[in-house]
Amino acid sequence: MIRVILTLLVAHLIGVVLAALLGSGSLRRALGVAAVAPVATSVWAVGQLAGSAEPAEASLTWVAGLDLALTFRIDAVALLMTLLVSGIGTMVFVYAMGYFPADATGGRFAATLLAFSVSMLGLVWADSVWTLFIFWEFTSITSFLLVGYKHTDPAVRTAARRALLITGGGGLVLLAGLLLLAESAGTTTISALGGVSGDRATLAAICILVGAATKSAQVPFHVWLPGAMAAPTPVSAYLHSATMVKAGVLLVAVTGASFAAVAPFKILGIGIGLGSVVWGAIGALRHRDAKLILAWGTVSQLGLLITLLAVGTGKAVFAAVAILFAHALFKAALFLVVGEIDVRTGTRSIDELGGLWRSMPIAFATATAAGLSMAGAPPLLGFAAKEAAVEAVLTLDGLDRFLVGSAVIGGSILTVAYTLRFLLGVFGPGPATPVRPRRLLMTVPAVLLGGAGLIGFVVLGGVDDIVGPAATELNSASSVYGLLRWPGFTTAFGISCGILAGGAVLGWVASRSSRPAPRTIGAMQSDRFLDGTIQRSRQITALVQHGSLPVYAATMAAAALLAALPFLGGLGTGHLAGWNSPVEAVLCAAIVGSAVAGAFVGSRLGAALTLGAVGTGVAGIFVLYGAPDLALTQLLVETIVVVGFVVGLGHLSQSFPKVDRTWRTVRLVVSVLGGTGVALALAASGADPAGQAPVAELATAAVTDGGGNNVVNVILTDIRALDTLGEVVVLATVAIGILALANARLSGEAS
Amino acid sequence: MSVAVLIAIGGLTTVGIYLITARSLSRIILGFSLLGHAAVLALLTAGGPPGAAPIADQTAPELSANPVPQALALTAIVISFGLTLFLLALARRQQTLSGDDLVEDDLEDRRIAEETAA
Repeated sequence: MIRVILTLLVAHLIGVVLAALLGSGSLRRALGVAAVAPVATSVWAVGQLAGSAEPAEASLTWVAGLDLALTFRIDAVALLMTLLVSGIGTMVFVYAMGYFPADATGGRFAATLLAFSVSMLGLVWADSVWTLFIFWEFTSITSFLLVGYKHTDPAVRTAARRALLITGGGGLVLLAGLLLLAESAGTTTISALGGVSGDRATLAAICILVGAATKSAQVPFHVWLPGAMAAPTPVSAYLHSATMVKAGVLLVAVTGASFAAVAPFKILGIGIGLGSVVWGAIGALRHRDAKLILAWGTVSQLGLLITLLAVGTGKAVFAAVAILFAHALFKAALFLVVGEIDVRTGTRSIDELGGLWRSMPIAFATATAAGLSMAGAPPLLGFAAKEAAVEAVLTLDGLDRFLVGSAVIGGSILTVAYTLRFLLGVFGPGPATPVRPRRLLMTVPAVLLGGAGLIGFVVLGGVDDIVGPAATELNSASSVYGLLRWPGFTTAFGISCGILAGGAVLGWVASRSSRPAPRTIGAMQSDRFLDGTIQRSRQITALVQHGSLPVYAATMAAAALLAALPFLGGLGTGHLAGWNSPVEAVLCAAIVGSAVAGAFVGSRLGAALTLGAVGTGVAGIFVLYGAPDLALTQLLVETIVVVGFVVGLGHLSQSFPKVDRTWRTVRLVVSVLGGTGVALALAASGADPAGQAPVAELATAAVTDGGGNNVVNVILTDIRALDTLGEVVVLATVAIGILALANARLSGEAS
Repeated sequence: MSVAVLIAIGGLTTVGIYLITARSLSRIILGFSLLGHAAVLALLTAGGPPGAAPIADQTAPELSANPVPQALALTAIVISFGLTLFLLALARRQQTLSGDDLVEDDLEDRRIAEETAA
């Protein structure tokens, strides 16, 4: 099975490359090539559905000890999502061939859309938290690229940036949540997650819910989704209604069982979900752009899914999976219809559209079928799914019943209302809008997806075979439930009738209103926050990166001093002695004296000589410490450096330039503090030696392994031979550099 | 641990920092050299008390100095030597171009600061 999974993933990647390469010819051809992999995946997924119930698994280990592996597991949930990702993906690729003008070129769109497709597959197939996170981020990035497709428009760029920052920021929170969850559960394998509890699990639940809410455009992170409608319509249909925005819902679904004992998961989940149901529906009732109406509707519908999954009873999970499936079909169809209207009339505003039921009958029929499925009216798949949700509410009690009931029933009434307003506004009466001729490539996918709701209701058992196992995978208590074509005259049916009637009245009233569309609350604030952050970071940059190299050096010295502070705690005096020998004390005094003289001496030549004196003193210390090699090297080096000073700077004026008095004081303070800090930190660290040096072992090894008696030499040329080779390379590079600098002439000077 | 050597290290560091924060490139080079000396001495004194030269056939292990910091220090000396000479070449180049050896402000950084102020 691993071979099939990898083949499918690699086929997508090959498609991405091919589409990008072919794009210079024709966008349509690139889209055709890109569609191959999704078609193959759909066919395989349908075959899996008919075949074994065993989940397909594949794993590529990277670092076994750290559990770092690309792990995939295609269970019933993943299979359902695969059908949506690749099935709807195929439709969208075909649709896009019609959406863009026939003579359009450039493979970027096709390649990016396919890259999203494979990212989404990786996300739904992932069985390790790492794999999940990586593909989660890939979907955020490809979504950003697709939203910003028309990047020459500043408004589009702003929308794309907002989408990236909200979903990307949520991704970081999700990563924290996944890490905490893996810690609590003791495994990084998603299918092996058991129930978790405790403070850490609570934090994990909150982080994961926040991550899910950003991705699934839930209140208060929903502001990016309406903005993302700036993308070409195939993208809106595919990413921002059918698949990517379901990722958060999927995450809540697969982690829901583990968080069953974590109360905040349920409370926060219902809170976010209920808020999104209401606020999203209100948005859908107020906006006047058909695409925005659908986008706000998506916020509302996803909120309903989160609410049901957060409650997590068998019936609720079953209803959520059924609605998820139905929603992907009808919402994608509605977007495709809106895209077609946009292309054929040049507008999406319900104020400008009119009479389309006559001039675009096929689009009208498709939208009506999909819309009624969205509203939960029979005889459509949405009806059976909505019915299951109402049933789920009736099995709850107490506060849960009230809250989830409000979400399901209140949300459904509002859904009916905005669906009616959408259909009336887009297709209903009004001055007839001129319509360009039909494009078959756009019509067919829309009709297929819109008709799927009807076909799904006819062959409800087939849908049950997809939805049922997926729900059972998430919650074993779901296995007893099924979708009903005709529930009979039950309480739930009565409620459904009430929902339709109430929603129809509300929708009729709302469609009479001509109030202008509101601004999206929060979108402007989030942009302003972002601009402010950028401005602020510029100011901080200007403050710390002011351009003066001496100040940089002083800052680094001060920072190093701060880093030394923790060592001072261990400062003891027991191991300290005044000096090891009187000669040492004299040499040290000479070193410090020469160094200080070097700082204040007026002439460059004098400074070079004091440097020589310091070096010679240090060489003397080496002799005292039993390091003849160091002493010899030091003397040799010091001689060359002094000569270098004289040769290199000999042409300069003898004295140093004058310096600013205040800055001089700052330098003095920083350097005295720095020097004192280093000395104290060193003294403190000496109190706690790491252990006895392996002097005897090194001496033996030098003779037996290195074949030399000078231990230091053997270390350099044998034990650390590669380091020493590197050192030689450094010196050679320096020599070449010096040669180049010395020979370089002024520009324009004759050679 | 010898306080005298610690004072030497502290003194070299102090003067070194003071010099590398100067405007004149030749002073900066001087400062780098002094910091290099301080680092080498720190390595050596952190390695333990003085001893005889670590020569296997002449020094008994219990009398021998720790050879590991010596080997590290030797590398440090050579690298700081290379750095010093390269900086000297840079200073000379600077002098050829501008007539002095003063370090200018970083132009790119100044541009960012001015853009923000504007």
